[in-house]
Amino acid sequence: MLRTVQLILPALIPSWNFFDVIAPSPRIEHQLLDHAGKPHGDWQAFRPRPDNISLLTMLRRLIWNPRWNESLFLVSCAERLSQDITPEHSEREILTRMKRDLQAETDAAQFRFRLVFIHREDETLTQEILYTSAPEPLA
Amino acid sequence: MTLDLAMRWTETLLAIALIMPGVEHIRAGGKERPLFGLRLILCLLLLYPEIGAYSAWICLAMSGLAVLILHRFEGPYNGGSDRMSLLILFCLTLAHWLPQENWKELAFGYLGLQLTLSYFISGWVKIRNPDWRTGRALRDVFAFSAYPVAENLRGLADRKTLLLAGSWLVMVCELLFPLSLASKYTLIPFLVLAASFHLSNAMFFGLNRFVLAWIAAYPSIIWLQDRFIGG
Repeated sequence: MLRTVQLILPALIPSWNFFDVIAPSPRIEHQLLDHAGKPHGDWQAFRPRPDNISLLTMLRRLIWNPRWNESLFLVSCAERLSQDITPEHSEREILTRMKRDLQAETDAAQFRFRLVFIHREDETLTQEILYTSAPEPLA
Repeated sequence: MTLDLAMRWTETLLAIALIMPGVEHIRAGGKERPLFGLRLILCLLLLYPEIGAYSAWICLAMSGLAVLILHRFEGPYNGGSDRMSLLILFCLTLAHWLPQENWKELAFGYLGLQLTLSYFISGWVKIRNPDWRTGRALRDVFAFSAYPVAENLRGLADRKTLLLAGSWLVMVCELLFPLSLASKYTLIPFLVLAASFHLSNAMFFGLNRFVLAWIAAYPSIIWLQDRFIGG
């Protein structure tokens, strides 16, 4: 019951402080591993954004944009995980979606992910790794 | 606009706003599929013109489902847009079920008030931040936030003058929004401007769920202005 109240209250009494500060921004990266846990290659961005998209695609995505909305949900999960808010749930949600994507792309035995947070220090963008998952089987 | 008509418009627009997200979740599969399947059916029922008094029961059922969906994702799936949809749904449900007319007005008016605050507070927290006043914050949004939908949009971070002007335009319009309630002739242009703002956010940052979620709350502010200010 208490958890339900905690979930509902921010909707009933919203803060509306959108973009009040530009917080460090998470990127999810993955690395493929063999059966022994040895890396197959370097860390790679998970779902990298395209270099550019056409106006037509932008308009179409006004109506139908499931993959991007799911990616935004993963950003929320990454932020929660880094702040230790419902960490098991957030990790499970990220792993489930990464596994689904990677199973379609590779036959590697395992993978792991890490959360890289980008922020600005004066005029320089810097990166900080805040979380690395344990190896997860892909089979 | 009467309270009943404003509520009917709100629930119709909310149903439209929730249809595509529902289809997205159903197609994605997972444990949440039955919840969104049921919500999709309720949304379609809500669109039925002769739904009449049954819409109160549908809103109540959708509110129950919304709580289950909150538990499923340990919070909103898509942040602010889901929170606005929930607020609309809870206010509508209360307005349907509260026994007296003035209590119904209070519940529905609260939605209009929160819509006004959604713009005003967003502007207030920005203008208090020096990074927003210098345009730096909007440059950071383009430079490294997770939102730009394509890499080439990150190049806009170097357009300092453009983003400084954009920052002030956003802040001033958000802060002036409450003044638009002075008359329907000021409110309607402001709502068109605000909807265009959500549309541009959807195109540049992929925040497409915000567009219809916010528009669904517009009847509440049109009713509120007409009921308490008029003109």
